[in-house]
Amino acid sequence: MSTTPRVSSAIAGQPPHFGSVMAQQPELLQRFGALYATFWSHGVVDHRTKEVARMRNARITDCGY
Amino acid sequence: MKLVELTEAPQPFEGLLQHRPELRSLYKRFYGTFWDEALLPRSLLELCRLRIAQLHDCEAELAVTDTRSGVPDNQRVGLDRWEAADCFSPLDRAALAIAELMPWQHHSMTDAQFATLREHLDEKQCVALVVALALFDANCRLRLVFELPASPASEPAFSSGLLH
Repeated sequence: MSTTPRVSSAIAGQPPHFGSVMAQQPELLQRFGALYATFWSHGVVDHRTKEVARMRNARITDCGY
Repeated sequence: MKLVELTEAPQPFEGLLQHRPELRSLYKRFYGTFWDEALLPRSLLELCRLRIAQLHDCEAELAVTDTRSGVPDNQRVGLDRWEAADCFSPLDRAALAIAELMPWQHHSMTDAQFATLREHLDEKQCVALVVALALFDANCRLRLVFELPASPASEPAFSSGLLH
């Protein structure tokens, strides 16, 4: 798999990363941010369990980012 | 055994997310962006959504049809053999090549495949497409994990409508 970002950052002065690349589509970024923030800031599943699941998912999908 | 019981709702997916109304609302708003804002050709979204559903063998996702997408019958019929079919445009083929790898082979995507996609879409559209593919993949996983029944629907996926 390529290690070179395939799309550029849409935020001046920032390298390509999840947020700066998704900023190519500001409306998508805003709506994703609202959803994702709610996962972490509200809910009935405790924060630790969510973080363990997030890290395990990243390892299974071999996502070093 | 069902992981969760569906709430009363016109559609199973809507009924599942109704357990968490605030998430349902935000998810619908996010998912609907592609159609609300016309980020990509509607037919391209429909072809990719259906191809990913085929790869997952997800009957519930396949039961949803965007009848306003303009995808002709010969493309719907030939979608599972799109690589050999001659009824798809170069843009369709470039996007389907990426979609093909999204569920199980995401590490196998090549720079050449993205270069081909960039011949047809600008960077903004490429970002929209890959996010859409990830969401289509996620939707199938949600439907399969929760064993949601197939419920035919033909409504467009605007954020103000039902989540089918």
